[in-house]
Amino acid sequence: MTDFAIQFDKVCKAYDDLDVLTDLDFAVRKGEVVTIMGPSGSGKTTVLRVLMTLEEIQDGVILVQDEPLNKMYKNGDLVDADKAHVRKIRSKIGMVFQNFNLFPHMTALGNCIEAPMYTKGLSKQEASEEAMKLLAMVGLADKANQYPSQLSGGQQQRVAIARSLCMHPEILLFDEPTSALDPEMVGEVLKVIRDLADSGRYTILLVTHQMGFAKEVSDRVCFIDGGKIVEENIPSEIFENPKTERLQQFLSKVLEAR
Amino acid sequence: MKPRIAILAALGAFIVGLSVATFAELKLFLPPILRGAVVTLQISFWSWLLFVSLSCIAGLGRWQRNLLVRWTATVYIEVFRGTSLLVILFWLFFVLPEFGIIMSPFVAGVLGVGLNFGAYGAEVVRGALTAVPKGQREAAIALNIKPRNFVVRILFPQAIAIMVPGMVNLTIEMIKATALVSAITLVDITYASVQQNQLYFRTLEIFTIALLLYYCFAQFVRFGGAALEEYFTRHLAKRR
Ligand SMILES: Nc1ncnc2c1ncn2[C@@H]1O[C@H](COP(=O)(O)OP(=O)(O)OP(=O)(O)O)[C@@H](O)[C@H]1O
Ligand SMILES: [Mg+2]
Repeated sequence: MTDFAIQFDKVCKAYDDLDVLTDLDFAVRKGEVVTIMGPSGSGKTTVLRVLMTLEEIQDGVILVQDEPLNKMYKNGDLVDADKAHVRKIRSKIGMVFQNFNLFPHMTALGNCIEAPMYTKGLSKQEASEEAMKLLAMVGLADKANQYPSQLSGGQQQRVAIARSLCMHPEILLFDEPTSALDPEMVGEVLKVIRDLADSGRYTILLVTHQMGFAKEVSDRVCFIDGGKIVEENIPSEIFENPKTERLQQFLSKVLEAR
Repeated sequence: MKPRIAILAALGAFIVGLSVATFAELKLFLPPILRGAVVTLQISFWSWLLFVSLSCIAGLGRWQRNLLVRWTATVYIEVFRGTSLLVILFWLFFVLPEFGIIMSPFVAGVLGVGLNFGAYGAEVVRGALTAVPKGQREAAIALNIKPRNFVVRILFPQAIAIMVPGMVNLTIEMIKATALVSAITLVDITYASVQQNQLYFRTLEIFTIALLLYYCFAQFVRFGGAALEEYFTRHLAKRR
C-alpha cells in the first residue's frame, strides 16, 4: 500500500486522431487537495472524465488506491477489468459537473436517494435520512422537495454535491463547478467545497479558473498544457514564483482578463 | 380548450340535426355503424398497445450500442416503414395462410397496424432518447447507477416528455389508418358505412357520421395527449 489515492502512469488518451493526454504522469496523495489549471482544451476535463470511467484510455495505467482502474488481476495476470471491478473502483470516486447534471424529474431529495436506493439497496427511509443530513450540510434542508427547475444554479450545484456525497466517495472530482453560475452564486458553492476540503476526509481533484480559491484550498496546483503537466507546486510558488514560461504566460493572461 | 368545445358542440348539434332529418332510417343504419365503431376502437386499442411497445423496444434497440440488437431494430423499422400498410394486411391475412399460419382478421388487423406504426414510433422514441442531454448518463455513471436503472428511471421518464407530441400524432394517424382493416373483412366504421350505404343509399348522412366518428376519436386522443404532455413536462420547464 502506498499512500497515493490516484496515480496516472504514462496515460494516453486520444479522441479519434486528436491526442489529448500524452504520457501523462500524475499522482495525488490520500487526503490531498489538488487543483488542475490550464488553458482551454489542455485536457483538464479529460483527466477527470478518464478517472470517472466516462472515457477509455488508449495506453498507460491509472491506479485508484493502488488498484488499476481499467485492468484487474486474475490468477496473477493483468487482464481487462470486468464490470464488477469497474463498479467497485468507481464507487470510490464522486464527480461534480460543470452543468450539475441533476435529474430534472426528481426532487432534490429524490436526486440524492436515487443511487443509494437503487445501486446500494438502501431502504427509502435510510437513504432519505442520510440525504437530509447532507442536504442540510450544503444548506438546503428546506429545498429537499423542490425540483431542480425551481432552484437557482448555486442551489442546484449544492444539491449535486450532496448527491455525490450520498454515495460515500473517498475521492471527489470537481470540473469547473462554478463556471456555469452567475457571479453572486459562486461563493455559496465554493464555501461548500472549502468545507469538504477542510474536513480532510476527501481526496479532492479540482478544475477551476477561480485562482484565489485554488490558492486558498489547494495543497498543490498542477498546471497542465498540451496534455502534460508542465509545472506543479504548492500554490504560493505556482502563483508568485512560476518557473516555466508557459505558466507565466498563462497567469499573465488570466490576470489580464480580470 | 374553449373553442374546441364550441366546435364539438356545433358538430354535436349538426349530428342531432342530421338525425332529425333522417330519423326514420337512422334507426336502421346507425346501430350497425356504431357496432363498427366498437370494432374500430377495439382494433385501435390493441394496435396501440402493440405499436407503443414495439416503438419503445425498437427505439431502444436503435439507440443501443450492441450491433446485433441495433441491426435487428433497424431491419424491422426499414421493412415496416418502407411498405404499405394495406399490402402488409393482405400478406398477414391472405399470404401467410399459404405457409400454414392462419389468424383471425382481428389478429391480422392488430398485427398489421401495430407493426406498421411501431416502425414509425421507434424513430420517435429513438429521437427522444437521443434528445435527453448526455450529462444525464454521465451523472448516472458517476453515481454507479446500473445501466438498466438508468434507462428505466432516468432516461425514459425524460424521453417520454419529449416523445409525447410525436406519439400523439402517430396515434391519431393510426386510428385513421385502421380503416384499412376493412380490406381484410373486418366490419369497422368504414366497412359498416359502406355496407349500410349499399342498403339505404343515404350517402351524405352515412359518410358524414363516419367522418365525425373518426374526428371525435382523434379529438379525444389530442386532448388526452395534451394533458399527458403537461403532466410529463411539469418539472422540466427550465431544462438545462
Ligand atoms: N468527446 C470528444 N470528442 C472529441 N474531442 C474532444 C472530446 N472531448 C474533448 N475533446 C477535445 O479534447 C481536448 C481537451 O478537452 P478537455 O475538455 O479535456 O479540455 P479542458 O482543459 O477541460 O478545456 P476547457 O477549459 O475548455 O474546459 C480539446 O481539444 C477538446 O476539443
Ligand atoms: Mg473542461
